[in-house]
Amino acid sequence: MFQTLLMTSLIMLTISIAIALYRVVKGPSLPDRILALDSIGYNIIGIVAVLCIMLDSSSYLETILLIGILAFLSTVALCKFLERGVVIERKRND
Amino acid sequence: MIEIVVVVMVLAGTVLSLISSLGFLRLPDVYTRSHAATKSITLGILFILLSTFLYFMFVHNQVSVRLLLGIIFVFLTAPVTGHLIARSAYRFGVKPAGITDELAADLEREKRKTAESSQA
Amino acid sequence: MTMQILLNLLVAMIWMLLHDKWSMLTFVIGFILGAFIIFSMRRFFPTPFYGRKLWSLAKLVGLFSLELFVSSAVVSWQIIRPRLNIEPGIFKMKTRMRTEWELSMLANLMTLTPGSVVMEIAPDEGIMYVHAMDVPSMKKSILRTRDRFEDAIIEVMR
Repeated sequence: MFQTLLMTSLIMLTISIAIALYRVVKGPSLPDRILALDSIGYNIIGIVAVLCIMLDSSSYLETILLIGILAFLSTVALCKFLERGVVIERKRND
Repeated sequence: MIEIVVVVMVLAGTVLSLISSLGFLRLPDVYTRSHAATKSITLGILFILLSTFLYFMFVHNQVSVRLLLGIIFVFLTAPVTGHLIARSAYRFGVKPAGITDELAADLEREKRKTAESSQA
Repeated sequence: MTMQILLNLLVAMIWMLLHDKWSMLTFVIGFILGAFIIFSMRRFFPTPFYGRKLWSLAKLVGLFSLELFVSSAVVSWQIIRPRLNIEPGIFKMKTRMRTEWELSMLANLMTLTPGSVVMEIAPDEGIMYVHAMDVPSMKKSILRTRDRFEDAIIEVMR
């Protein structure tokens, strides 16, 4: 019973990733796509956490932190790119 | 006993994140979608991570500090990404769907002021 | 205040060393003991006891999680309602916050509360531009939330 319910929640998380993927492909503007990619990252965090409970092992818990940091940094980089046209700004001496 | 609590919390979090994904389909523009992304998903992931924390605390008797760190990190960064995406979408030129927009005039004035000061 | 917290941590570490037991429970007991010692010696410190600040911080966190629940419920209800009936918009909002810490704290908290995403901040004039999901019905509640958060933040920071 326990495993079945956890499996259900895994399937629901996968469905929500699929919906976000649809938004990535179709999204009318670029910020839409970035937003959908960000939410895919959060859903993957949830999937890893549920997998940790299902497999009954705490070895994957580092992955949660890692994916969270990666999703945040990629979102920040993409937003900076949208706003200014460059990711890393150099200081100009003029 | 603890299994029941864990499963209920995991299912609640999953339903919340599914609802916010539905919001991606239904809501009209980027700004309203970012509402769905920042609020419902944060709460959903928070529920799932907390239930994982409780599971390892009560079943395996281990307090996982990494998981607590992850919870704090998600809590801190979710509003920042929402704010960043809304701001860069506005600067990028995506038109908001509503009628009231008190930002446009002020931003225009600000731009003109910086252009004048850079010319002078 | 920072001095007192460090001293408290030191007392907790010494308690753990004396017991030679490195568990969470020993640390918590040592920390409570240290807080008690510092509280009883509060007359000899130049700054007041940090317990009051800690208490107001706890109140801020409690208020914040309550608002997060409410806002999530509101947004979810608006999404799953069969007919979408919202009128999004952007409006100006004045704040009393001045320093960078207070501003970023308030912006973070406001972004996670009912129907509002902070879009742009003009720190010199103290103005925030807020995107609301449904302007006519939510503007009042957003302003009320802002007042409550501002009071709590001022209590923590000043």
